[in-house]
Amino acid sequence: MKKANHSKLAVVAILAIVPLVLTACDASPDSSNGGGSQTLTVDNSFVLKTLDPGFVYEQTGATIVHVLYDTLVTFDGSDVSEVKPSLAESFEPSDDAKEFTFTLRDDVTFTDGSALDSEDVVFSLNRLKNLKGSASQIVSSMSFSATDENTVVVTSDVANPDVPTILAQPSTGIMNSEVAAENGATDADDAATTDSIGTYLDTNSLGSGPYKISSYDPSSKVVLTANPDYWGEAPGYDRVVLQNVDVQNQKLTIAKSSGDEVALDLSGALSADLPDTVQISGVPDTSYFLSLNQDPAVSALTSNRAFVNALRASIDNEGIAKLFGPDATAASGVVPPAFAGALDPSDAPKQDIDAAKKLLADAAISNPSASLVYPAITYRGVDLGTIVTKVQADAKEAGITIELTPQPINVFLDGQAAGQNEIGFSPNSLNYPVAASLVNNMAPGASTSLRNGWTIERADASAIDASEAVIAATTPEGRVAAMQEWQRVMNEVSPFIPMANNSGIVVATENLDGAVYSPAGWTIDLADISSK
Amino acid sequence: MMPVGAQERPPASHPSAPAVDASSAICGSNQRKPFMPLLLKTIAKRLLATVALLWGVTVVTFLLVSVVPGDPAAANLSQQAYDDPEIREAFRSKWGLDQPLIVQYGQYLWNILHGDLGVSQQTNRPVLEDLSRYIPATIEIAIPAMVIAIIVAVALGILSAMRKGSALDNGIRVLSLTGLSTPPFWLALVALYVFFYIFGWVPNGGRLSNMYDPPPTITGMYTIDALAAGQITVFWDAVWHLALPVGILAVLTTSGLLRFVRSSMLEVLDSDYIRAAVAKGLPRRIITWRHVFKAGLLPVLTVSALTMASLMGGAVLVEQVLSWPGLGQYAYKSALGLDLQAILGVTLFVAIVYTGINLIVDVLYTVIDPRIGAK
Repeated sequence: MKKANHSKLAVVAILAIVPLVLTACDASPDSSNGGGSQTLTVDNSFVLKTLDPGFVYEQTGATIVHVLYDTLVTFDGSDVSEVKPSLAESFEPSDDAKEFTFTLRDDVTFTDGSALDSEDVVFSLNRLKNLKGSASQIVSSMSFSATDENTVVVTSDVANPDVPTILAQPSTGIMNSEVAAENGATDADDAATTDSIGTYLDTNSLGSGPYKISSYDPSSKVVLTANPDYWGEAPGYDRVVLQNVDVQNQKLTIAKSSGDEVALDLSGALSADLPDTVQISGVPDTSYFLSLNQDPAVSALTSNRAFVNALRASIDNEGIAKLFGPDATAASGVVPPAFAGALDPSDAPKQDIDAAKKLLADAAISNPSASLVYPAITYRGVDLGTIVTKVQADAKEAGITIELTPQPINVFLDGQAAGQNEIGFSPNSLNYPVAASLVNNMAPGASTSLRNGWTIERADASAIDASEAVIAATTPEGRVAAMQEWQRVMNEVSPFIPMANNSGIVVATENLDGAVYSPAGWTIDLADISSK
Repeated sequence: MMPVGAQERPPASHPSAPAVDASSAICGSNQRKPFMPLLLKTIAKRLLATVALLWGVTVVTFLLVSVVPGDPAAANLSQQAYDDPEIREAFRSKWGLDQPLIVQYGQYLWNILHGDLGVSQQTNRPVLEDLSRYIPATIEIAIPAMVIAIIVAVALGILSAMRKGSALDNGIRVLSLTGLSTPPFWLALVALYVFFYIFGWVPNGGRLSNMYDPPPTITGMYTIDALAAGQITVFWDAVWHLALPVGILAVLTTSGLLRFVRSSMLEVLDSDYIRAAVAKGLPRRIITWRHVFKAGLLPVLTVSALTMASLMGGAVLVEQVLSWPGLGQYAYKSALGLDLQAILGVTLFVAIVYTGINLIVDVLYTVIDPRIGAK
């Protein structure tokens, strides 16, 4: 018994001593810390594959790359109506909007101190084009050349007044071509197969942006530190930690945060019931629409324009918008309100069941029934199943039966690409923040249209003419007017039924300045954020 | 009642558990085969079976991923990029998807034999490198959760069985059933709300606070690596971050294990040879710890091992809610992106864990009762 007591005492003593010894061993308890007291925490449900600007396409990656690699031009805050100078102090478009001459600043350096010049710009943009990744498509019709050390000429195969906007995208970030080439990067025509830089850019900053990479873990955390030699205005925080946080968790975290924190995924209903201690910024930049297959071989019903318009008339856009949360709007066209060229919200069509029934009766369509296929996901805080259930109920009022067919996202994407869905439903974001980019996808014969059997042959001439008018407009103002007219035509003769627009949201603690949502393509400009 | 020495079948939860002579269970056997050769033979047989099993796993997984609807190009490229034939073909070519299935599989097997599990489409890194990053994170929560679960489940299970029908037994059973019926993600959300949001006792997830950088990698487990580096503050921070995921996994694991321990103990308690032992007048303490505990724990060992293997496969939902960058999250994201190499890598690892743990259990069975190995 006595021996047992001694044993117990010995165990207790060891347990008490070990932490003390360990603490004593810790000569520099905080030596492993990232450093500065000025740390901004960004909570985001990571969608992150790479920090290589040539491949970056996902949201988290674009947010980070935007502050690692400067682009020729950029946007300020949430305003995407006008590009601002960045690496290029000015640019000059040709009259036919096919050639753009960019004049570079002469005081820009990369993180290693070397100067940025036109060769770096041409290398970076050619590499983006030739890598043939998801981001390459936006520059596929452009070519790039340098006329001197500070001048870059961008030539587009077709008239395209949106070239400057495209060149503000994070994927067009400019890298140090010499160091990149030393590590395997190439801008050659066969870069898709010969570029061998691999994951080097995930952990090394070859840009000239306000931040540098400190550490990279795509599953949990990316740490950025301020670039001490940044040529522009120093960012507000010395250190930024982007951490992978589940959406529900983000809501609790930001509500409890004491400051210096931002959450990027609390859209829709998730932004409701947040405490007054946070500030919310959002812009409706995503549209949700139905697409009805126009191929009679897929569906005789959905390819009937009378049915399309009957379904359009039966849907309560206002009611659907409410399901998306307080910042959502009823759609008046396919262009979300965040972008120039959107129709006035008051133009949003109202539900008209009588008109829907009349259209069906006039076309001798009785007991129509169609399958609506959608991805079984929650997007920006909204379960898409909730939305289509409302569509189903609205349509039923007009005597239309909608059979809901939820699918795993990969199966949905496969079916959508094959063009076999009778009615499809999914969110739609712009490739770059110009409304006219939608014409490239949704005009008759364009990619989204072809996925719905809407070929040029099957399209109404008015839709073709309106699309061509947009492309022919060579000034931003002209394009805005043409886009509005295009949407009015599309609302009458296209197989697309716009229903609502949803906001991207940034939620920030109240001590922050400049934490605003941007529809430009990078969600938030981390370098603009500072403490009040 | 059978006399002591009569043949008796013990709880046969393990498929290889043979009939056990009750007399030897109590009094011991005098005719045991040499132990080490038996053990080595068991291990050799199991290792051979493991190789065949792993090959089978690669075939089945490869075929399953190939026949599942969905195109990796559509899952990984933007719509506009996918609709551009040049970009789509470049993607297929880069990842070898333009090759016939048999060629893809042959290449995969060849690479595996050379220690290469391929490159993940999601991370652009070698799958082996990804696994070496995610597996330690999962181990770091799985092992403490399992240890806690076994201790609690065995203690409560025995208590419950010994006091069958009492208020204590009923209370333990209700708790166990509640734990079993609770969806893991819901439990994780509630625990997060209560212990992080309301009380602030635990962090909101992740492996370390933002003020710390991970310790230099040795094992990939932050607690151990921090200690090895002498970073005691980082160590305690890592422990603090383990509290919630380990606690949740321990609760979920304990619930299932506890019921099994209880039923296993009850089965043994109801055996004729225990009744015989009681009739012989053996002290209750001897009966409980020497006979009931030992015989009852044998099947529990199997279930614990399989539970451990399951935890090692990643607790997807708990990892997701608590932003724990473990194998579960990696597997989930790989499946969403139809990332064949990563899916195969995770599947192979899980298969190795299951077969490895089964091997260990078989060896332990042989150690505990050499007659099982002899059979």
